[in-house]
This record gives sequence, C-alpha cells and structure tokens, in this order.
Amino acid sequence: MKVKAGPALFTLVSLVLLGIWSFFPIYWMIISSLRPEKELFDVPTLIPKTIDWQFTSYKNLLELTDYPLQFMNSIIVALAVVVITLIISIIIAYVVTRYRVPGKTMIVGSMLYAYMFPPLMLAIPLLSIFATLGLADSLIAVVLAHCTLTIPLGVWMLWGFFKVMPFDLEEAAMVDGCSRAGAFFRVVLPLSLPGIITVSIFSFLLSWTDYVFAFVLVSSDLNKTLPVGLASLIGSFDARWGELMAGATLIAIPLFFMFVFLGRYFIKGLAAGAIKG
Amino acid sequence: MQGFRTSSDKVLKWAFIASVSVVLLLILLPVLHAIQLSFYHSESFVSNKSWVGLGNYVRILNEIIFWKALSVGLIFGCLTIILQVCLGIAFALFLDRNFPGLPIIRGLVILPYLLPTVVVALAFQWMLDGTLGLLTIWSEQLGLGRPSWFENPYLAMTVVIVASVWTWTPFVTVSFLAALQTIPKSLYESAKVDGAGMWSRFWHVTIPMLLPMLMVIILLRSIWMFNKFDIIWLLTKGGPSSATEHLPILAYRRAFLQYDVGGGAAVATLSFLLLSLLILVYFYYYPLEEKEGSH
Repeated sequence: MKVKAGPALFTLVSLVLLGIWSFFPIYWMIISSLRPEKELFDVPTLIPKTIDWQFTSYKNLLELTDYPLQFMNSIIVALAVVVITLIISIIIAYVVTRYRVPGKTMIVGSMLYAYMFPPLMLAIPLLSIFATLGLADSLIAVVLAHCTLTIPLGVWMLWGFFKVMPFDLEEAAMVDGCSRAGAFFRVVLPLSLPGIITVSIFSFLLSWTDYVFAFVLVSSDLNKTLPVGLASLIGSFDARWGELMAGATLIAIPLFFMFVFLGRYFIKGLAAGAIKG
Repeated sequence: MQGFRTSSDKVLKWAFIASVSVVLLLILLPVLHAIQLSFYHSESFVSNKSWVGLGNYVRILNEIIFWKALSVGLIFGCLTIILQVCLGIAFALFLDRNFPGLPIIRGLVILPYLLPTVVVALAFQWMLDGTLGLLTIWSEQLGLGRPSWFENPYLAMTVVIVASVWTWTPFVTVSFLAALQTIPKSLYESAKVDGAGMWSRFWHVTIPMLLPMLMVIILLRSIWMFNKFDIIWLLTKGGPSSATEHLPILAYRRAFLQYDVGGGAAVATLSFLLLSLLILVYFYYYPLEEKEGSH
C-alpha cells in the first residue's frame, strides 16, 4: 500500500509524541539516578552532561538503607504468593470445571466479586485479625493479604482455561490406563501451561507492586516490602532524589525484564481484563 | 461432569473443600469483620470495643467531610475514567497501522502500566519538586513562576489525575487495540465504497462494533478508579487540607491516624456498598451463565 507523505508525517509525529508521553517520566527517572549529585542541583539538561559511572546514588542506596533487605522481603513474599495462588486456584478451578459441585456459579461469581473489592475494605479488618492472632507486622501477614487479591484472579483466569479444554483428552488418557492424577499432570497441566504462566506473572506483579496492604500491615523497617520501604525513604532521606530515583529504577527493572521475555503472556492476560489496578 | 467416586476423587474433594475454606477465611471473614467493626467504637485494633449500633454511620453521614470526600472521589473517578478511555482509544487507533518501528512504540506505551504506583508517584514528585523539579523549572523559564503543585488544591487534583491517567491509560489502549483487530476488514472496505470518510467509519463501524467491550472496560476502570488509595496517598496524602481526600483516604485517616477504628470501618463499609452497586450492574449486564454457556 502506498503511503501519502502528509498522513505519513502526521502518523510519525503523533507516534513520536505518544512515545515521549509514555516514556519520558521513566527516562527522567533512570537518567536522574545516573547523574552525579552536583548536576542534580543545576538547571537540568534533557541529556545529562556527565554520567556518574561510579553509580554513587545506587551505592548509597544499597549501603546506607534497608533497601537490600527489603528487596529480599519483596522477592520472598512475591514467590510465596505465586506458589500459594497456583496451588489453591488450580484446585478450585479444576474441580469446579470437572465435577458436579453445588453452587459453583456462585463460587466463581463471588471470586470475581472479591477481585473487585476495595483493598482498604480488606486491609483494615485483616490488620485487626492479624493483630489478634499476633501476626501483625510480619511477612506472613503480607503474603496472606496479597493472596486475597491473587487467588480470585487465579481462579477466574484458570476457570476460563480449564472450561474450554476438551474433557475428552483426559478421558482418553484415563481409558488408556492413566489415573485421574496422572491424566491431570500429563494432559491438563501441560496444556494449560500458558494460563498457569499468565496467572504466575500477574500474581507476582500484584504482589511486587502492592503498596496498600504492606503499608497497612507492616510497621517495622525490617519487614517492609520494597514499595513501602522506598516510600518511607522520602521522609527520612530528606529528598535525596538521586538515591530515590535509583531505588525506583531498581524496583522497575525486574518488571521490564519480565515484560521483555514474557510479554506475550502479559498482553494476553491484559486483554482478558486480568489485572486489578 | 461427574460426581466424586474414586479414591483420588475423594482426595481432590477434600483439597477443594480446604481451598475454598482458605478463600472464605481470607476474604469473607475480613469483610464481615469490617462490617462488625463499623458497629463498635474502639480507639485501636487491640483496645476494647464498645457497641454503638448505627452510631458510627449516623456520625459519619452528618459530617461535611464525608460528603466532600464522596464528591472528591466522584470528580477524581469520572475525570480519570473519561481521560483514560478517550486517550486510550486515540492511542489504540494510532497504533493500529503498519509503520516501521511500531512494535517498539507499542512496547513503550505499555511500560507506565507495569510500574508500581510508588515508582509513578516518585517520578512525578521528582519532576514537580519545588526547587529542582524539571516541570517547575520549565514553568519558571516560561515566565509562569514556580507553581506550588501540592499546595494549590486545583493543581494538586490535576497532578493526581494526570499521574493516574498516565499509568492506567495503557490498560484501555491494549484492550482496545486487541479488540480493534477482531473487526473484519471487509466492514471498513464496504463503508469506504459507500463513501464514508475516516471519521464516519470510526463512528459507524468501529464504535458500534466495540461498544460491548468498551462498556466492560469503562465498568472495570470505574470499579478500580473509585478504589484507588495508593496513588493519591503517595502524591498528596489527601491534601492540601483534604482537597484530594476521597473515601478510601478518609477511611484510612479515621482508622489509623484519628484513633477511630469504628468510623474508619463505617466509611469503608459505605464505600464498599456504593461499589457493590457498580459490581451488580456489571453482573446484571454480564451474567456468568452466559459466559459458561458460550463454549
């Protein structure tokens, strides 16, 4: 198809503007984390005059704050959330699609309902419950709280996957002598791998980026996850923007990598209305 | 479809019951507990509770601050949703064509959505910093002076809205882009043959075809935007003097900063009821049975 010069120029300009709108704040964050400190206090230039190859902002952040510990907290919490979410949502979604379960539409419906809950409606009473149990201000509390977001999402998405998977495949495997468990692990699980990967990605993402639950449930610096830890640096660090931008960049990097390598699952899930946010 | 018969079926049955119980404990119990808390007066989560019946609700509903928070939430929600949907559609239309380098732009467009809210808030706060922020300095160079972004109520609201729109528009863009590709090209061809211009093809082909999906997006976005706590809290803490304080922030402030757990729970329950109305609308238009019967 021949492209006319006028519309092509218009398209080009609008696409460049779109790129700038989407990427500039991210560019500015990364660039600010790499500038030498004195340049941060000058009138800013769009392209930095010098790059601080000593990575002073990053060094300060990692050496002077609890950032490394909180990074580990976030990883532990996110991985635990992914594992718990997968086990529980696979069981629920599989049983609901394969067996006669009384009230199953209600089970799936209430999952979708729960997935739309205001986080604060859950965070306030969860803190009260955890405080009574002596679990407040612990990583376990954060993991369980994140599961209130991720399990409904997982059940909802896997339900969609298992539902359209032909039952004949498993039956054929079972006729050939596979047990139900064998049929499940050899037929159903491999076939629903894309769905399982998508649920894992979104559970990880929800847990890794969550601020509300961790903010309400955790008070001691040692148990904070990254988003809460970083946000609390603003007050105590007296606006050291180089370090703050370094911290923000480091939280975002794992997500960018995930997106580059697993982007197609991500887009698929997003198109299915998968994420809360 | 079958009943639970064999021994592995039995194991699965118990695993299922256990899983559902975990979910009920984690989700239903807190909701019931929040409603219960809203009928009591207590100063903290560990102190003694005293029964006040509907007292918290009467008190809250008689306060101007509650109605102000409700209207702030409506303004914030409506403006962010309208802007997200309009921008998202426009972006999707721009991206729905062949152009060299387009996959890179498509990737860039999604990035804001991946960022944790904390990162978004920090990036905007840095650009708006009162002395060193890029936008502050630009505004000064343009002769507009140094805007006090977070002290002026209108500016603060604008900042919160722009930051929210920036992060959450990609959701609309990606969903709309995916849906655009399901419209058969022949529809556009025949509209073209009938002499319809670009604008009229958009209004008479694209929009009617995508209306159902657009409604789902708007409904989902509304449900989530009215719930947003973190972006506003991180940017303004509801200030200046409650200019950006909506119901979730009011609930938080009540329960955690003003030692009024019952009041906070009552605000949370009220906003939960309002939200449930939206969710019921969703279920009314998109019943699960229909989805179940579609395969």
